[in-house]
Amino acid sequence: MSSNTLNKVPEITLSFWVIKILTTTVGETGADYLAVNAGLGQVVTRTGMALFLAVALFLQIRARRYTPCLYWLSVVLVSVVGTQITDLLTDDMNISLYLSTLVFAVVLGIIFIVWSRSEHTLSMQNIDSRNRELFYWAAILCTFALGTAAGDLATEALGLGFAWGSIVFGSLIGVTYLTWKLGANAVLTFWIAYILSRPLGASLGDTLTQSRNYGGLGFGAMWTSAIFLAVILLLVTQAQIKNGYLNVGRGGKLKN
Amino acid sequence: MKMKDKKRIAAVLMSLFIALVANGWSAPMTEGSSTSTPVASSQAKASSKLGDLSAFRTIAKDVDALVEKGNLPEAKKRIKDLETSWDEAEAGLKPRDAKSWHILDKAIDRALSALRAKTPDQGECKSAIAALLKAFDVQ
Repeated sequence: MSSNTLNKVPEITLSFWVIKILTTTVGETGADYLAVNAGLGQVVTRTGMALFLAVALFLQIRARRYTPCLYWLSVVLVSVVGTQITDLLTDDMNISLYLSTLVFAVVLGIIFIVWSRSEHTLSMQNIDSRNRELFYWAAILCTFALGTAAGDLATEALGLGFAWGSIVFGSLIGVTYLTWKLGANAVLTFWIAYILSRPLGASLGDTLTQSRNYGGLGFGAMWTSAIFLAVILLLVTQAQIKNGYLNVGRGGKLKN
Repeated sequence: MKMKDKKRIAAVLMSLFIALVANGWSAPMTEGSSTSTPVASSQAKASSKLGDLSAFRTIAKDVDALVEKGNLPEAKKRIKDLETSWDEAEAGLKPRDAKSWHILDKAIDRALSALRAKTPDQGECKSAIAALLKAFDVQ
């Protein structure tokens, strides 16, 4: 395959999924914290986050090769903004969650159709041209908005709390993983799992942050974010080292 | 990724999952016992499907008293506690009864914007807080 640039996205490994799920929680609690506790208000938080995302994506797209910290910073910010888009539609514009879930699903479908017509693949592993990269990030933003809307809909319509949410969305991802193992299309199962990991991340985060009165573990938003952020930093640093960005472990002993 | 790393991540995930499931099972029991104990507070009608809301109602009552005295700046400070604690409890409360939750959420929003207006109007603040207290009693 001829490519203009090197591949710009990570391999899909266990650590990829762990970081992805943790970023979801940090993104949501972080945005909430800025809006309510820090008293910045929704308008300032939303505009600020959208600007940060624009800068991060600009840097990510300009980078010549996969840079873990840049890639994951973009994912965290996409997670925040994707959630904010859904919240804006639901809370401020009073658009029903049934409608927004449907619209986001249709928009995501359209992105995939245009992407596959133009590139003849929807592979999430070979993001090696400007076009593919733009399709990739558009799809990811849409999966976060869709995941938020669908997850909220499950809460509103089915009264699905976070304890059961963790179990239900976790099991659905397990089933998706099994169908992939049994030979289902890798690209399709990847995107399904990607959408599901948004409500799973939110449920897991709520389980840790919510007080014991509501059946949570009562760690609070601050501690949960701190723990998750620490794990993310650890895994992303590991990825940075693996991709040869830091010199740690290179001098003296040769490991490979 | 090395096998060792995989095992380490898997172990962390497994223990998290076990903690969550264990917690999920124990949660309904604690919830049941807390609603069956009569609440000491005098005006604790605020326990429908949403459970015990008396902590939120107490703050609203404080705000009401401050507005009554005409101390709108202090009322604005106090209602921030309601906003913060209500927001923190959203994931716990909303699944119990989304409809009632939204009614209360709207009432809190109205009271918040009344007190946070550039030049807050005492009449509007009063009626917004009265409506909020009523919503707590009904829901």
